[in-house]
Amino acid sequence: MTVKVEEKMILLSMENIQKKFFGKYANKNVHLQVEKGKILALLGENGAGKTTLMNILYGLYQPDGGKIFWHGEEVKFESPKDAIERKIGMVHQHFMLVPTLNVSQNITLGLKETGYPLTDRKAVNRKIKSLSDQYGLIVDPEAMVSDLSVGEQQRVEIMKLLYRDAELLILDEPTAVLTRQETIGLFEVLKRLSQDGRSVILITHKIPEVMEIADMVTVMRDAESIITVPITEVDEASLAEYMIGRPLNIVEIPPRIEKRNQGFILRNLNLEEKSQTKSATVSFEIEAGEILGIAGVEGNGQKELAESILGIRHNVAEEMQLFGKDLRNHSVSDRRDAGIAYISDDRHRDGLLLDAGFMDNMLLKFHKDRRYQNNGILNKKKLNDFINRQIKAYKIKVSSPSLPVRFLSGGNQQKLILSRELCDEPKLIVACQPTRGLDIGATEFVREQLLMHRSKGACILLISADLEEILSLSDRIAVLYKGRIMGLLNNSKNIDITRIGLMMAGRNFNLNEVEIHEK
Amino acid sequence: MKNKAGDLISYLMIVLAGIILMILLIGITGNSISDALSGFIRGIAGSSYSVAEVFVKATPLILTGLGVSVAFKSGFVNIGAEGQLYMGAVTITALALAFPNLPKGILMPLCLLGGFLAGGVWSLIPGILKAKMGISEVINTIMFNYIALGIVGILLQTVLKDPNNYFPVSATLTDSAGLSILIPGTRLHSGILIAVICAILIDILIFKTSLGFRLRAVGMNPRACLCSGISVGKHIIISSMISGGLAGIAGVCEIAGLHHKLIEGISPGYGYLAIIVALLGGNNPFGVILAAIGIATLQVGSLSMQRAANVPSAISSIILGAIVLMLMARKTIFKKLIDKKEEQG
Repeated sequence: MTVKVEEKMILLSMENIQKKFFGKYANKNVHLQVEKGKILALLGENGAGKTTLMNILYGLYQPDGGKIFWHGEEVKFESPKDAIERKIGMVHQHFMLVPTLNVSQNITLGLKETGYPLTDRKAVNRKIKSLSDQYGLIVDPEAMVSDLSVGEQQRVEIMKLLYRDAELLILDEPTAVLTRQETIGLFEVLKRLSQDGRSVILITHKIPEVMEIADMVTVMRDAESIITVPITEVDEASLAEYMIGRPLNIVEIPPRIEKRNQGFILRNLNLEEKSQTKSATVSFEIEAGEILGIAGVEGNGQKELAESILGIRHNVAEEMQLFGKDLRNHSVSDRRDAGIAYISDDRHRDGLLLDAGFMDNMLLKFHKDRRYQNNGILNKKKLNDFINRQIKAYKIKVSSPSLPVRFLSGGNQQKLILSRELCDEPKLIVACQPTRGLDIGATEFVREQLLMHRSKGACILLISADLEEILSLSDRIAVLYKGRIMGLLNNSKNIDITRIGLMMAGRNFNLNEVEIHEK
Repeated sequence: MKNKAGDLISYLMIVLAGIILMILLIGITGNSISDALSGFIRGIAGSSYSVAEVFVKATPLILTGLGVSVAFKSGFVNIGAEGQLYMGAVTITALALAFPNLPKGILMPLCLLGGFLAGGVWSLIPGILKAKMGISEVINTIMFNYIALGIVGILLQTVLKDPNNYFPVSATLTDSAGLSILIPGTRLHSGILIAVICAILIDILIFKTSLGFRLRAVGMNPRACLCSGISVGKHIIISSMISGGLAGIAGVCEIAGLHHKLIEGISPGYGYLAIIVALLGGNNPFGVILAAIGIATLQVGSLSMQRAANVPSAISSIILGAIVLMLMARKTIFKKLIDKKEEQG
């Protein structure tokens, strides 16, 4: 079937693409080429700029610089409409279907079919059927979208593109929501598409998938395209290194004072809401004065892990102890009283009262504290003294503490949260992406604070998608993938980064490989 | 603070627009504008009786307005102050008829407490439904208004009905279940003092106590409260209870101070006006007092205008509606004015 006689024909070429958001590069000198009838994998960690690049191609963003060539001629896409006219189609990570319409109606949505507005539905359905047969893309035109599984919805999305005769299909993390079987089915369809002369860009961070399906791979890291190679010239290990990048320069961590007792013990915490599989559980221990880093690509259970420890979620654990105190079946309030501090990765949503000033934001923690109230009446003078001390100690820049914290910079908001959460010597600090969105100065400050509490003997759980952060702070590193710990390593200067990268991408070093593939 | 002058001018212009609208509407009805306006002024400031009348009207508005604003602080939208007011009224009637021989010093506090609890429970039920099951309180509190009105109707036909009266009214209550008149020759009763005391207590509760902080925090960011270990549901329930309780006290004061017996229609929609009072008062207890007095003035004045010049008092509702609209759109309408002052300051 494969027609490889013709010499390589460049369908799309993006050259020197630049895009800045708020002064920060999302795409910098990015190059990308797609050949006709080939599958290109666009590989990179979250935030590497893959989706931005594709949104530029699809006309959702305008590039600040660079050129796009389509069939060898320079083009400018003002909106997705222009891209669709040139037969470029995109399946977004979050599907764009109308649940109350049926499949056929969703596919023709926005098209003026023959006989419009009295569309010949039968003819439409016949065309869908023939496309369906041609590519092995099974969809029932009459089914309601609300009744379809995620995998079926994805097929409808792809059918939407084929119905519009797309020459280039962009799929943004298509396997993130699929089971292994569905993934195999999807790849089968993609192969047929490429044999038929259509091109595919597959956005992903999963290395095994790249090896399995792609013809070419372009690796992106820190907003730049690092390398483009045919898949036959790379292996998984080298891709992992390209993706994660440089040999990381690890910040000197002060030596541990001594081995102390177990501080925090977690055993068989089930991170799946509906616990279908027993395998997706997490167990670890954190010693007093130890930082345990949880690495992993976002969305693999990090948020669930943090919130289960806090008691915000009610996932079941077999054992959860903090310095001998059993925390299971305790409320958030009790757990916080036991000495758990929480730095959420979404400070606006979880950590702040944006429309209130410093006092109310401090009271989130101290509203029960007898030091700052007499018989329920708040002692505002004491509170103000405390706030002014904290502002000084944490070097928070604010014109007046009564100013709504909405108007503080992200770094100062984070310092406010630290000044609240880290005072009174917490026993366990759960820090989720504590430096997200902060500048270098604020980032260093946050890291110093964590290290200071480490030397004071707190247990620290550092959850971050930023591998460098994990490597520069942690004593031990666990990699979380799909709600499971893929492996636990001691951190050292010559730690095997490739191995961590592979674990982040779903390779298991504790269990044999077959098991993860079979789910 | 920098745009204080611009703010002030914008408010004055809204008042001016309200007056112009009033004159236009009077003109449309074909009556003498000067007669009508003098009737309005006499109605609110013509005598000690008319001045007092403004405060008589303001009393239930302050109490119900406070209730709505307390609930709103916690993110509980209480449209049910009307029904809660009626539950308070039913309670004082029942208590006074059941214990006519208790001395005033015991019966009156008992009635106030009972009214608070009855109104509170009436709002607590939608509060629990929202906190525990996530059912919208907007629908539920409105439905509870209908239920309350229905209950009053049934009680006045049956147990609470005065057997000596043809109409569905209760017997006149004993004097020990009455609030004293503050200024002889007027209808001004000590309910206004109760309302002001409630405003002060609510101000202390909301802004100076730990509980008040939690009630406000739940309204500001329930998710952050959850993460900090503040129970969102519990505080919504507390806030709905206090809110309904205040409306219940309004009902007690209306019976004890004015009607001295339960009749249908003791409230000409105070519970609904309360939402406007809370809105205009910026959900601040003392703002609520000012807003309540303002609305009471408009109502009393236009009623007097109706008597003096035969101008329909419905005009007051039209003006009130227009003023509320303008106040809500103020920042947009007077954007240039406010912004300009800001730049200068």
